[in-house]
Amino acid sequence: MSEVDRERREMAKVLCPRDEHADKSLQITRRLFIHKSLYTGAVAGAAGAGLTGWFPMMNTMTMAYASETPFTFAWISDTHLYPKTVNERFVDKVTRAAKEVQAMHPPADFLIFGGDIAQLGRANELELGNQILQEVKIKKYFIPGEHDWYFDMGAKWRSLYGAPNWTFDHKGVRFIGLDTISRAPDYWTPRRMTAEERMDHMATLDGTVAGPWAGVGNDQIAWMQKTLSDWHKDAPVVIFSHNPLYEYYPPWNFWVRDWREVNEVLRPYTKVTNIHGHVHQVLYNEIGKMRSIGMLATSWPWPYAPEGVPKLTTEMIRVDPGDPYDGVGWVRLHSNPNMSFDPQYVMWGRKEVFATSGPDASSSHAEVLRPRIADNGWFYPD
Amino acid sequence: MSTSIIKRALLCGAMLSLALAIPARANKTPVTPQQLKAYHDAFMQEVRKGDLLFHGDGAMAKQMGVTLSNTGMACAMCHPMASDTHPGSFPKFQPTVGKFSTLRDMINWCVEKPNQGEQIDPESEAMKALEAYIYWSNSGSVLDTGKY
Repeated sequence: MSEVDRERREMAKVLCPRDEHADKSLQITRRLFIHKSLYTGAVAGAAGAGLTGWFPMMNTMTMAYASETPFTFAWISDTHLYPKTVNERFVDKVTRAAKEVQAMHPPADFLIFGGDIAQLGRANELELGNQILQEVKIKKYFIPGEHDWYFDMGAKWRSLYGAPNWTFDHKGVRFIGLDTISRAPDYWTPRRMTAEERMDHMATLDGTVAGPWAGVGNDQIAWMQKTLSDWHKDAPVVIFSHNPLYEYYPPWNFWVRDWREVNEVLRPYTKVTNIHGHVHQVLYNEIGKMRSIGMLATSWPWPYAPEGVPKLTTEMIRVDPGDPYDGVGWVRLHSNPNMSFDPQYVMWGRKEVFATSGPDASSSHAEVLRPRIADNGWFYPD
Repeated sequence: MSTSIIKRALLCGAMLSLALAIPARANKTPVTPQQLKAYHDAFMQEVRKGDLLFHGDGAMAKQMGVTLSNTGMACAMCHPMASDTHPGSFPKFQPTVGKFSTLRDMINWCVEKPNQGEQIDPESEAMKALEAYIYWSNSGSVLDTGKY
């Protein structure tokens, strides 16, 4: 059994005991049911809903819990800005997202920025993002991504946005923002890296030098436990993080390395939703009582990892690489009259976000991939 | 000139051409571990060069005389671990390129369009290095030529 298989079996054993399921308030809606039945037939659709719970087939997904008053919020992340002189396309896309969020009617209650505002953590990249997002006048909350942090170890990011983790209550929901990026093992000091080199390794998704950098950390887990200690176990909790809080694909840090401890703290709470960036793709998972939803990037989409894609994920549409606006965008999340949230992917240039056939799916090939080898030392032969 | 002389001359000519075309000792003796290592090392050297080019290494691009991007984008930003490159599906009709394409055609399309770099000679060392890295990273994947 491979190491990854062993880890996955352990995750299933720890987090998915036989008698533990997501909250019953998650209901398949009539709209979703009818849509599903178009593909699979009404009988098969009903049987599927009964056997497996629910599959998101439209570009809205229902994540259920109660809130006091219906409201909406917006998510933008993974803008990966270079200076405008280097890459104007990325700037244009963030600008478009900011304008669209500001134009929402009725307006969103707040905006969450989910990390990776910059590409290489430079002050001018972070300032450019901050300046573009001034377009959004509603309340804004920020969590960091690894691209924002490892040039100056978060100094500029903190000067713009303050603490990287925070909490607030809004209309009956407790929101928590986590920092999942700043606790990387020190790979730079033993190698005597410059700040640029440290950042370059961190900015390479498939790099092998930075290692398993994503994590919440014992101190922050204790803070989260304390933050939740006065919260009713059946009241809704939404946790924002840059990385997913479960193990999807560690070689790309599509996880946090301390997912066991994080989920142990969350286990008593029955209505937890994790909304995360970093993966640049549509993603949905349920582990124990917690639901996880992956958000789009504005910069570029990533292919699904060669293994570990949650079975509950309906894959996003295969992207046209010739269209910089395809496969990317932002997300609006609104509570509906039955007091549940509907995340709606605003994928520019697409009416249908989800693939409806094998050839249109993003990962139509089974791939066997090797990690890169040339980033563990310089290699410049004559 | 008799027929037998013509036949003999033709036979000598054929043998001479064969001797020139094939190195004297190729595959005449079992391959040694040292030879295997040398062949593998030669391949992996190209893989390493391609890995660096694929990940936007400026020094390697300069050394090989290519400009693969002018946007800060590198191949690996959309294709981590050379994922979603599907080298085993080429050659095929590639709608993005608009013609029956090789992997090299597709690489040059990505260089020119998303990366806004400068197309490279399909026979260049840089192209062969990129190809070596992409194929190496996908080793073990299914060979499925023509698949969309």
